[in-house]
Amino acid sequence: MADGIFGQFREHSIAEFFKKNRQMLGFSGKVRSLTTLVHEYVTNSLDACEEAGILPDITVQIEQLDNGHIRITVEDNGPGIPEKLVGKALGQMLAGTKFNRYMQQRGQQGIGASGAGMFSQITTGRPVKFKTGQGDGKFYEGELKIDFKSNKPIIENKKEADGPYRGLWVQAEFAEVKYDKSDYAPYEYLKRTALMNPHAQILFIEPTGERFLFPRASDLIPQKPQEIQPHPLGITTSDIVEFAHSSQDRKLSSFFVNTFSRFSYGKVEELKALLPEINFEMAPKELKWEQAEQLVNRFKELRWVSPEMDALRPVGPEQVEKALKNIYNPEFMAVTERKPKVFRGGIPFMVEAAIAYGGGTGRRKTDGSVGGDILRFANRVPLLFDAGGCGMTDAVKTIDWRRYDIKNFENEPVSVLINFVSVHVPYTGAGKQAISGEEEIEEEIRLAVMDAAREMQRYLHGKVREAGREAKKKTILRYISQLAHDLTQLGGKGKPAEIEKKLTKMVEDKYSQLTLEEAGEEAEEEGAKEDPPNGNGEEKEE
Amino acid sequence: MKMAEEKPARKKLENLGAEMLDEIAKDESPHFETMLRSKSNVLYDEAIGCLRLGDKKEIRTFVNVAQAKKFMQTVAVAAKCKKFLDEDAHTSIRGLFYQLKYSLGEEMDEELFAEQEESNPLIEDLEAALKLKREDLNLNTDRKGVVAGSLVLLDKFGGERTEIDCAKQGRSGWMVPSDVDNGMDFISVDAEWVLVVEKDALWQRLNEDKFWKKENCVLITPKGQASRGCRRLIRKLANKKLPVIVFTDNDAWGWYIYWTIKTGSMNLAYLGNDVATPEARFIGMTMQDLKDYDFLNKLTIKAKDVDVKRAEELLSYPWIAMHKPWVAELKSVIKSKRKIEQDALQGPRLSFVGDYLREKMAKKKFLP
Repeated sequence: MADGIFGQFREHSIAEFFKKNRQMLGFSGKVRSLTTLVHEYVTNSLDACEEAGILPDITVQIEQLDNGHIRITVEDNGPGIPEKLVGKALGQMLAGTKFNRYMQQRGQQGIGASGAGMFSQITTGRPVKFKTGQGDGKFYEGELKIDFKSNKPIIENKKEADGPYRGLWVQAEFAEVKYDKSDYAPYEYLKRTALMNPHAQILFIEPTGERFLFPRASDLIPQKPQEIQPHPLGITTSDIVEFAHSSQDRKLSSFFVNTFSRFSYGKVEELKALLPEINFEMAPKELKWEQAEQLVNRFKELRWVSPEMDALRPVGPEQVEKALKNIYNPEFMAVTERKPKVFRGGIPFMVEAAIAYGGGTGRRKTDGSVGGDILRFANRVPLLFDAGGCGMTDAVKTIDWRRYDIKNFENEPVSVLINFVSVHVPYTGAGKQAISGEEEIEEEIRLAVMDAAREMQRYLHGKVREAGREAKKKTILRYISQLAHDLTQLGGKGKPAEIEKKLTKMVEDKYSQLTLEEAGEEAEEEGAKEDPPNGNGEEKEE
Repeated sequence: MKMAEEKPARKKLENLGAEMLDEIAKDESPHFETMLRSKSNVLYDEAIGCLRLGDKKEIRTFVNVAQAKKFMQTVAVAAKCKKFLDEDAHTSIRGLFYQLKYSLGEEMDEELFAEQEESNPLIEDLEAALKLKREDLNLNTDRKGVVAGSLVLLDKFGGERTEIDCAKQGRSGWMVPSDVDNGMDFISVDAEWVLVVEKDALWQRLNEDKFWKKENCVLITPKGQASRGCRRLIRKLANKKLPVIVFTDNDAWGWYIYWTIKTGSMNLAYLGNDVATPEARFIGMTMQDLKDYDFLNKLTIKAKDVDVKRAEELLSYPWIAMHKPWVAELKSVIKSKRKIEQDALQGPRLSFVGDYLREKMAKKKFLP
């Protein structure tokens, strides 16, 4: 126990640790802290609804109080929390449903709601108010605080009532947060959340009382994520120690076979040959850090069957398309779906990418112009911060956009959407706002985005052609009046108005029937004519 | 007005317009066809001894974005020229440009013609297409060239008829007009040959010496490069069976003046033998003169780069390279890097120029 990193945290209380290191939970900066709070509650609601097979209806309200505090209220129509688990779910760090579960989920560490409660308590000293019911005729209300020393929830003023209420309602007050409408603020966060969760309906009420509804774009509830065993190649030393110490297995060998994917007794024998100094008969709880480290290193030398890919739950191209249309109403969009890949040799992942052009896409800059935007998601969760240090940003920026008829990515109405899907998202920090730029991940993102970019390029090219055809027609039409007049004079017959009419029809007909290729060829004729001879000692006339 | 109706140029213009209108009536895009005037279509016609255009055509059609504007402009130039003919008024090609430099419409940021460089080539296109000269379209070129000699002309201009006797023009001579075809007729040509002298200074020398009277020639100076009118006049005199002798400096410009008179130029190849006089012969100056007239050796000047380059260029033209004396002459300039001017003949005494010409005429010392 003493060797595990988390073990050390627990001795000083995990809550106390995070109280001192709140930036690790995303509580740094006033705007960012507010977005993190909204994120934690909304993520929990979405995950809960998904597991219960419910189409989420989520309301988020932010109020500016007279004392300078900001009050957040989040309500969902999810399955609710059973009475005896309310405390643990909302007030105990790492005790949620998520920790140590190897499955694709929005949150990963089980700190979310408790962390938010902690933040409320240390900035305002006030408890978190809650109301929850499971739709079974009873519901509970109460106030919750956290005892930092023991990492234990304290519930006060608990009331039970009768009623058909189902869902969870939480309300908390915070200081050291700030509300604005920047690209990093709750509005943008919720908009993007709605984008990647087209099955959810989200209502946002901002401090002015203005209501923004992001309507549901699809009635398709995402498939329940599947819990899978971790693959030996995707595991770290701390993971092994963590898993081993909480294992019920009697022997290290059976622990491996039972805990990890693709781990057979045959593989145990191979490891034994490589590591004779380790006793595979020992109890998993006895595993030392150094031994775990040796094991992880040896894992890499063995040949493993690839991990199972079934656990990945992409949003799906149809859903992404519906959502993009719903939120941005773009002029054009292309969505790509690629096969799952593996990073670090053992962690399956998948990249969903889409490009939307025109309409409401792109980032509104401070000068009012529009520029290219990168919408980053990890398991459907929008990543708003730390864009510069994110592998997704890096992948997009290293694409040669001119090849796709985007002259300057920073100045075009284009949004690139990337959803990184995996049972394990390699975040760069505990703030979970950027993924690490590992080569196989970045390369896969680049390929996915370029797939979509190719389709967009075809569209843009056609658009240019179409514009060219229109321009050509206009060019000729503007000369008709002069020509008709001169021709009747020169030929000594005819009426200008009639000639004009005939010529106009001729031009209209030609440029509406002309195929794009023909129009292109015609344009190429321009300037192809040889120049007449120039000076070169020849006479000069006037 | 009645006179204007008679002009063939007017008829040609009207036919051009009528044909285009017929095409439109048949729902076809109107088109304009002319000879391609680019260098690639210029060839030397051995049979007639001058430069002319080959068979390559240039076709311009209106319902084509690459050609629409040029087509419209071509018609505008043609219509304007027809108007000049109807009004019996003349102007320069610059005057024509200003007549056509206007906006295409109130809300349009585009002019029919913005630069004269746009309208000039279209005039040449019309000349080539209709097989006529711009002078036929009442477009004047700069007058250049002075004539003296036993030659009487009738100039019908501005409703008046003026008789011009080139033997009675005193020290100034008769200035060759832009157009020597329309409204200009020979009354009598008593001179027996034509002497074209590059420089006005030499023309004045020979005029003072009464050279043309003594030798019974038409003395013409184009004052450098011969104008269209001047070349046309020389052609017309050659048509009267008068031998044409050309007398220039022995340098790049001199040769060029001669060859332009003789074979025409690439720029005006579309006019073909209308402005070329293949019968013309070259009397001097030549490198051979340095051998025949010793004093000239002291009066040569250094050939410039342009002279040497031009000599090399001329050697590359097949219609020049086929004349051995010319090849020797040009090679001699390239080798010695010396050249000699007409004016040098005034070295011994002012009237020596006439003696030089008489001697060479007598001995028929010409270059082809």
